[in-house]
Amino acid sequence: MVVKKPKNWNSQKPENTRRFIASGKDGRKKPSGPRLPNTMKKVLDRLNTRSPVDSDGEENEVKIDTEENSESVGNDIYEYEEEVAQEELGKNRRFDSVENLNYELPDDFEDEDIPSDDEDTDDDGDKDDQAKTGFNAESEEDLGRHARMLQGITGMPIEAFEGIKKSKGNMVSVTRPESEFNPSHNVLDGDNQITIQDLLDPLQGKAGYNQLRERMHHLEKKSVPIQAPLSKPEKEKVERKVAYAISKKEIRKWEPLVKRNREAPTLYFDEDRDLKYSTVGAIASRVEPRTEFEKKMHSLVSDKKVLEAHANDGTRLLELNMISVEDEKERSDRIAKIRNLLSRHEIKQKHIKKIKSKTYHRLLKKDRLKALSAQMEMDPEAAKEQARKQEFKRAEERLTLKHKNNSKWAKRILKRGLDAQDEGTRAAISEQLQQHETLTRKINSMKDASSSDDSSDGDDEDSADSEQDAALKLIEDAREKTVKVLEVDDAIPSSGVFSLPFMVRGLKKRREAAIEEAKLALEDYEKLSKQMDDSQEASNNSIGVSSGRMTFGVVKPQTENNKREQRFHDDSDTGDDIDVKEDGDNGRQYKENIQIGIRNDSLLFDEDSHAHKDSIFKSFDSTHEDPDDKATYEVSIFASDSWMKMKDGKKNVNEDLSSQKNKVVKSSSHNNHLKELIEESDTESEGQMVDGILSAGPTRPYELPSQAELVRQAFAGDDVEEDFEKDKKEILNEENPEPEKPVFLPGWGEWVDVQKKKGLPSWMLKEHNDAKKKREEALKKRKDACLKHVIISEKVDKKAEKLFTKVLPFPFTSEEAFEQSMRVPLGPEFHPATAINDLIRPEVVKKPGINIKPIKFEEVNPHAKDEDQQDSKQKMTDNKRKRRGGGKVVNKKAR
Amino acid sequence: MRVKVISRSNDEFTRERSQDLQRVFRNFDPNLRPLGKAVEYVRALNAAKLDKIFARPFIGAMDGHLDAVSCMAKNPNYLKGIFSGSMDGDIRLWDIASKRTVCQFPGHQGAVRGLTASTDGRILVSCGTDCTVRLWTVPIPTLEEFYSPGKSSEPLAIYTRQNAFRAVDHQWDGEQFATGGAQVDLWNHNRSLPIKSFEWGTDTILSVKFNPGEPNILATSASDRSITIYDLRLSSPVKKVILMTKTNAIAWNPMEPMNLTAANEDTNCYSFDYRKLGEAKNVHKDHVSAVMDIDYSPTGREFVTGSYDRTVRIFPYNGGHSREIYHTKRMQRVFCVKFSCDAGYVISGSDDTNLRVWKAKASEQLGVVLPREKRKHEYDESLKNRYKHIPEVKRIVRHRHLPKLIFKAGRLRREMIEAAKKKDERRKAHSAPGKVVTKPLRLRRTVKEIE
Repeated sequence: MVVKKPKNWNSQKPENTRRFIASGKDGRKKPSGPRLPNTMKKVLDRLNTRSPVDSDGEENEVKIDTEENSESVGNDIYEYEEEVAQEELGKNRRFDSVENLNYELPDDFEDEDIPSDDEDTDDDGDKDDQAKTGFNAESEEDLGRHARMLQGITGMPIEAFEGIKKSKGNMVSVTRPESEFNPSHNVLDGDNQITIQDLLDPLQGKAGYNQLRERMHHLEKKSVPIQAPLSKPEKEKVERKVAYAISKKEIRKWEPLVKRNREAPTLYFDEDRDLKYSTVGAIASRVEPRTEFEKKMHSLVSDKKVLEAHANDGTRLLELNMISVEDEKERSDRIAKIRNLLSRHEIKQKHIKKIKSKTYHRLLKKDRLKALSAQMEMDPEAAKEQARKQEFKRAEERLTLKHKNNSKWAKRILKRGLDAQDEGTRAAISEQLQQHETLTRKINSMKDASSSDDSSDGDDEDSADSEQDAALKLIEDAREKTVKVLEVDDAIPSSGVFSLPFMVRGLKKRREAAIEEAKLALEDYEKLSKQMDDSQEASNNSIGVSSGRMTFGVVKPQTENNKREQRFHDDSDTGDDIDVKEDGDNGRQYKENIQIGIRNDSLLFDEDSHAHKDSIFKSFDSTHEDPDDKATYEVSIFASDSWMKMKDGKKNVNEDLSSQKNKVVKSSSHNNHLKELIEESDTESEGQMVDGILSAGPTRPYELPSQAELVRQAFAGDDVEEDFEKDKKEILNEENPEPEKPVFLPGWGEWVDVQKKKGLPSWMLKEHNDAKKKREEALKKRKDACLKHVIISEKVDKKAEKLFTKVLPFPFTSEEAFEQSMRVPLGPEFHPATAINDLIRPEVVKKPGINIKPIKFEEVNPHAKDEDQQDSKQKMTDNKRKRRGGGKVVNKKAR
Repeated sequence: MRVKVISRSNDEFTRERSQDLQRVFRNFDPNLRPLGKAVEYVRALNAAKLDKIFARPFIGAMDGHLDAVSCMAKNPNYLKGIFSGSMDGDIRLWDIASKRTVCQFPGHQGAVRGLTASTDGRILVSCGTDCTVRLWTVPIPTLEEFYSPGKSSEPLAIYTRQNAFRAVDHQWDGEQFATGGAQVDLWNHNRSLPIKSFEWGTDTILSVKFNPGEPNILATSASDRSITIYDLRLSSPVKKVILMTKTNAIAWNPMEPMNLTAANEDTNCYSFDYRKLGEAKNVHKDHVSAVMDIDYSPTGREFVTGSYDRTVRIFPYNGGHSREIYHTKRMQRVFCVKFSCDAGYVISGSDDTNLRVWKAKASEQLGVVLPREKRKHEYDESLKNRYKHIPEVKRIVRHRHLPKLIFKAGRLRREMIEAAKKKDERRKAHSAPGKVVTKPLRLRRTVKEIE
């Protein structure tokens, strides 16, 4: 209970106190601090003196409890004050010690008091009351009496007992439980004051006592008077200050909302329209007919009969839907007219059809054809149509063979013999055939030229001297090619390795050599052609076989015979034609080879590829072994071509070979041969170039010069610095043009005689000088005036200047950002329609005629904003209607 | 072998109606259209020029008052209605669409200095130099039966006080309104006496404005060059800022309740943040004479000002210079301006007894705008916005023909400012570094803040 008590005491609930009081009667004895203002003390004293009287006849515990309870409830203030004081001074400990004393002392006290106490009617059990009554009884008179009694007993003067009394008095104050009911002896002594000293005394010796005492001293010394209340303006000022702080805080709630709106790309104010009329019917119900037509309509629609008919089953509507006689008549008239027109047209056509005059029809047809052709010329569509028709006819003819004398009639006539027929029939038959032929011929013409070539070639095959011709042709070709090489090859590659000067020089040299040799070759060709003419007869026996390809098969048997020839055959794998040219002396041999080739042809084809490969290698060897004049000559003709080509050539050689072989197999015709010739002529040079590498290697081995040499050679011709200076001068002249020299014009500015005497007028000279000076100045002012190796163009493009800002516009922090902002175009040409709305949406979307209400507060979560915006963006693209969210301004109607 | 064939489903490519546009497929690869930027630049240029061509802002004048129009009030609930009060005590309700007076409210003995309407548009409050506050009922317009013109109305109530009133404003969505004169009085519709009076200093209140977003905050300007703010929740004045010159009118940003803009006598408008009244957030300068009235667009993105220099200007809420200037030969000193409730029009009342209606966007197309037209306008607008920094476009967009007087006055002003600046620079150059400090204009014009 002891522990519990202060707790209960602290809580100010009346119930709690009541319970406490009811449960712990003895607990009530615990003293509470007597720290009360003096005035209250006095009142308390009065109460205390009275209370015993009050509770006189009521010995019942409960009753007293309740009484005390009521008292305690009534004196809440006191309790509260005690409470505070206790906490401040931390006297809880003291209460405990006092409690212990409580039990010891009353015995003494009672012993002393009982005789002198006149009001000991109090209940013994209730210590409080006892103490109270005891204490109350202990008045000064009592003390005085006691002293006197002592004096009487001991015979000693009263003064001797002063100390005892005093000490006793002290004792009393200490030993008594301190409460409002037990004032300290000072109170009883008469000055009625409890000093702080009184409160401090019991704490003596406790921890913190000294500090407390010092503080108290300090306080006593520096007692400050209470401040006078503030003047009105001052007070208002303080109030305003506080009010501003509050109001400012209040207004901060708008910040997230305002921020969101400011950052939103678009604000929408077009929500919440009150259109008043929600349906079409509602709007229409108010419309009144104004124009004639509207009135008519209205009168019809709102006709009572019609409405009634609608309301009923509608049969009467039919009756109402009567047609007038005039209307019907008009309609029939119209129809009759149209019919009349139609029938007339028909009759006319029939009449035309009936005309039997051939001339008429011919003329008609002619006209029609003319018109058709004209149309075809004018209109591509018509031409196309015509072509399609023709195509169809052709197809029909081919399918049915209608005009191929397959008809019964034709068969019969043919059976009987054409000679037996009369003129007309024969003509008819021939005409039919003719017709067929025209149709089929047209089919032929549609085919590609190859077939016709075929036939013509077929004819050529038969010619006896085809072989000879081919050889001649080959020679002709070769000559042409050489001439071409001579003419063309001057083109020097402008880039890559070959563009380096030393390479260029090397190439040039080689070229010169090649040209010389080419000239020689030309002479050879001429000789050859003459020889060919001589040996024309010999070629007769070879019919239908002229393919140069065949010679490949011949290569093997020939290798032993003629080394040079073999080389040519092998090296210039595809170039049998060239072989022909080269082997000027061996014209006849060549022919023989061909013949042999024909024989071996079929057998050797499979081996060809191998043979060819071998031969290439062999040829390499051979060229290495005996690089004679011919070889080099061959090579250098085409040596001026690029290296790359040479490499390619190697590859192509094989490919070409195989393909050509196939062709040989397929077509034995001369035609093929010709074709191949053409193809070969392409590959020829490549083949030759293979030789180029090989043959050039041994004759003139190229040694790489040293690095310095290379550099020197490379930059031998060009003087960079000079070039640059020249360039700069040019640019300077362009940007600051030199003034024109004054031209002497007789009679211009001055009289001719004066001019003759004085020369040019002075003002002209002056002008010129000024312009010169000006130019000098301008040149000096240039940024690159002092920079020898730099050109800084100061040319300002005025047109371009218009497209640039002079300074970076405000919201942008960098040039890139600004450029970026204008990078993507906005227009409908550059974006699909779905994207464009988002791009060109204005900052504020409002609808005319809609009141915009001021902002309404709503909670905005500043952190969830980003997601929100993203969402809204998506929504924007998704649905136009759901686009709110980015910068929504709620514009609700005030209610 | 698989052969890929282009196939199109008939359903997708069949038009519903023969008038429907055929579906067109485009390749939007930017590499195919390398000249996009150049093309759009030219379009922006053309858009800017077209804007100039179609700039016809003046819609019409509303004639009828016999004296200068001193104040106006818009009906927050009815777009077409606007009230105007004149110096001879006449109050009129106008129908903007027909440009006619709908109703008159006779009664004031002296000049009407303040007009305001309640949020529901039912009650009109007027006050004037005859020391009276008058409440009027506003005739309710209906679609079928329109106002009978020339009607006049009797006041609902007349409250007389000792001093003349200079301004009145109604709270948004509330029953209270405030008048300014010798002091600030707070009134209720149903009470004949002010429910509250505020007096801070002895100078006359020139204008009163309730904050529409935060209806319990009130700002006033007084002839002691001050702007004062009151909070009705705490029923006390809150803050006072004294500027170097008098503030003629105040407007709160309806979309940003913390911001207000003051129309000042020194030709500038100053935007303040309620939380930080010591410095102006923005100085809007372009007028060449005192700014008499200011009103925010309901979108909060721009505001209109009327000036003693006979012009009306429209400023962006965060821009230093006006984007538009309106003037006519016959328009005199502008005493009051209002933005219409749909942010589409501007109405000005001036000394020449006329009210004038202008488009808020000079080249806007009125009437029904078809979707394609609308898209075109939007496209042009965004193009202009994109290329607005490019010199040529900028020049065209900015160019305005000004009356000679205003042009000259502006030039003179610029020269003076330039001279002052130059002088300041010289002073700075010839004194110890850090001794002469130039404060920015935002700060310079504020004398002090009073708590």
